Amino acid sequence: MKFIVSSSSLLKQLQHISGVINANTVLPILEDFLFEVEKNKLTVVATDLETVMRVQLDIEAKDSGKVCIPAKILMDSLKNIPDQPLTFTIDKNFGIEITSDNGKYKVMGENPDNFPKEPAADDTTSFTMTAAALVTAINKTLFATSNDDLRPAMTGVFFELDKKGLQCVATDAHRLVRYKRTEVKCPKNDSFIVPRKPLNLLKAAIPANEDEITLSYNGNHLFVKHGTTQMSCRLIDARFPDYKVVIPADNPYRLTVNKNDFQSALRRVSVFSNKSTNQVALNISGSELQLAAQDVDFSFEGNERMKCQYNGEDLMIAFNARFLIEMLNAADSDDVNVELSTPTKAGLIKPTESDENEELLMLVMPLMLNQ
Amino acid sequence: MPRQVTISCPKEIYLYTPMADTKRYIAHFDLDSFFVSVEIRNDPSLKGKPVLVGGYERGVVAACSYEARKFGIHSAMPMKKAMQLCPQAIVTNASRSDYSKYSRWVTEIIAARVPLFEKASIDEFYIDLTGMDKFFGVSKYAKELRKAITTETGLPISCGLSSARFISKMATNEAKPNGFLEIPQGKETDFLWPLGIEKINGVGKQTEQQLKNFGIYTIEDIAKTPVELMERYAGKWGESLWHKAHGIGSAEITTDWEQKSMSHENTFDIDYTDISFLHKELVRLTEKTAYSLREDEKLTGCVTVKIRYSDFETTSRQETVDYTALDDILIAKVKDLFNKSYQQGRPVRLLGVRFSQMIPFTMQMSLFDNNAEKLNLYKTVDEIKDRFGSKLVTKAVNVKKRKG
Repeated sequence: MKFIVSSSSLLKQLQHISGVINANTVLPILEDFLFEVEKNKLTVVATDLETVMRVQLDIEAKDSGKVCIPAKILMDSLKNIPDQPLTFTIDKNFGIEITSDNGKYKVMGENPDNFPKEPAADDTTSFTMTAAALVTAINKTLFATSNDDLRPAMTGVFFELDKKGLQCVATDAHRLVRYKRTEVKCPKNDSFIVPRKPLNLLKAAIPANEDEITLSYNGNHLFVKHGTTQMSCRLIDARFPDYKVVIPADNPYRLTVNKNDFQSALRRVSVFSNKSTNQVALNISGSELQLAAQDVDFSFEGNERMKCQYNGEDLMIAFNARFLIEMLNAADSDDVNVELSTPTKAGLIKPTESDENEELLMLVMPLMLNQ
Repeated sequence: MPRQVTISCPKEIYLYTPMADTKRYIAHFDLDSFFVSVEIRNDPSLKGKPVLVGGYERGVVAACSYEARKFGIHSAMPMKKAMQLCPQAIVTNASRSDYSKYSRWVTEIIAARVPLFEKASIDEFYIDLTGMDKFFGVSKYAKELRKAITTETGLPISCGLSSARFISKMATNEAKPNGFLEIPQGKETDFLWPLGIEKINGVGKQTEQQLKNFGIYTIEDIAKTPVELMERYAGKWGESLWHKAHGIGSAEITTDWEQKSMSHENTFDIDYTDISFLHKELVRLTEKTAYSLREDEKLTGCVTVKIRYSDFETTSRQETVDYTALDDILIAKVKDLFNKSYQQGRPVRLLGVRFSQMIPFTMQMSLFDNNAEKLNLYKTVDEIKDRFGSKLVTKAVNVKKRKG
């Protein structure tokens, strides 16, 4: 088999999917890309047995065939080859010879029949959304997922579909983000949990534009299709915690602050907080918000005050500053509302304004101070 | 051309080194066969008999009376071997819950009488008596302190006094049992030189053999070997040994000692492969360690599980957790770590649980578990244990079935 491909477009496509491949895999063949050539089209597949990604590009080829090519050495070589057409020649023992203007490179491939099969897209339900909406949904939720393997349900993003639209929810038990898209038309009420890794790959591989993306799912897998780029991944088989009951319905006090000012103040003050807890205490009274952090071990202290609007009783509540900073990142408006009740109950963070089709709600549990 | 670098050293550094020229007085106090002494105090009939403290059957000797030492028994010796050497020895640990109580008692006596001391272990103390010579006479003061401890607690204690920590410790060892030895300032080498090299704390079997191969038997030999040669024989440690042989060692007392981790482990009477038993043990060890954690008002961020198999191969596995002091979360993590590292079917001799990366209590509240309520529950259980003993309330898996 023989084909000719542009080195730069091959590299570009491979970079979209190479993140699937783990550094140390159990099966050596998982360190390979699967190349499939048919009718002047090259399809490249990468998998880690959980997530499969495939891209397609135009090439010049007379015949068709398949081969597995070691990913790392191929990527390393492509990165160093100036843009030009490359000729790939594969012999019957899966030896691969790459010919460029500069010279010839040889690498041993593997039998494509040993490459793991992709999951079959049987009994799927499909819906569509724009690429931008999907990328935004991932960006606004992924950071709040948990790393705790003992609670697998929380290590992914919960997709919840109903007639009102799509909701993406992520939580690590300390904070929670719920992002709604009302314009997404869902065929039925349903839900599934997508692991972190494929979502990370997805937001890197697809452009945040108005292209239409098709998402299909069945009991075990999610299939995402964007033009010639496709991804499928195994869903997390666990029950997502009943998050609706923990969202406080009527936090009576509302604090309104400028998002950027609040975030910068948190960044400055938290430098002086205890490095393990990142604890910053918020002292709110009247129209003033005080931020205080300290690290008793080193006698560090940080204090700031800033203007705010507040309609409640004086309140002192402590949070992990990192949580607040990350959540404020996800809010797009100039100001945010922080809705509070008592120092031991969850606080709600909402942007003061949002686009017509979206709604963002975040909640964060405080740090309990030792009395 | 190589660049010339001039490093200037501010003179103040030398000028303000505290007490660079003044001689230090460091006393080392060590309770004689502490565990045995506590046992004898609680049961005077044991006096004058060979007594061993430690686990029965499979444990090691944690402490032994001087009568038992005559049979060649020493601490850290496997109990089995000790019993072969002296079959009539009495093995006990009946008063083990009192050990830390007596240790605290001694600590309080010392704390009330001296300004600067370090508790090096449950039965060992370093005390800085520098400056006392101006008022009382250092050795008189140390002797009186020793007498006070023995009179008040009824526990024999030995004391060494010198200008450096390691010399005082060695003097204590020479003074034992129930003795006092002062190495006068300037006479350090007279005391050290005749002693064998193995008497220096930290010289183990390996270093001892290594140095003996070079013909170094006594501390005098070390002192008379050029320091460069000592460095070649035993690296950095060789250099430190050479200084020690000349009577130069640290006199610093660390009072502000922060605990880095806490752990509990248990060697079983027989080897176990029964998973349900091992899980029960993990629960018990975790409960115990979590109790200490809450007592210190700390949270842990890292959990380690240690497994020693019957052939003494030891593995430990650790993982970080969200900072917590709650039994249920820690137990789940400990079991998970154990399940990940245990090689099914291999007999286990010892299990251990350790918490590290400890921080002062600041609990992150959870959305889905009521941590505040759970913490109250565990704290209440802790209080019951404090008042009525740690055996009264335990997790249900560790409740033994009643007979009949």
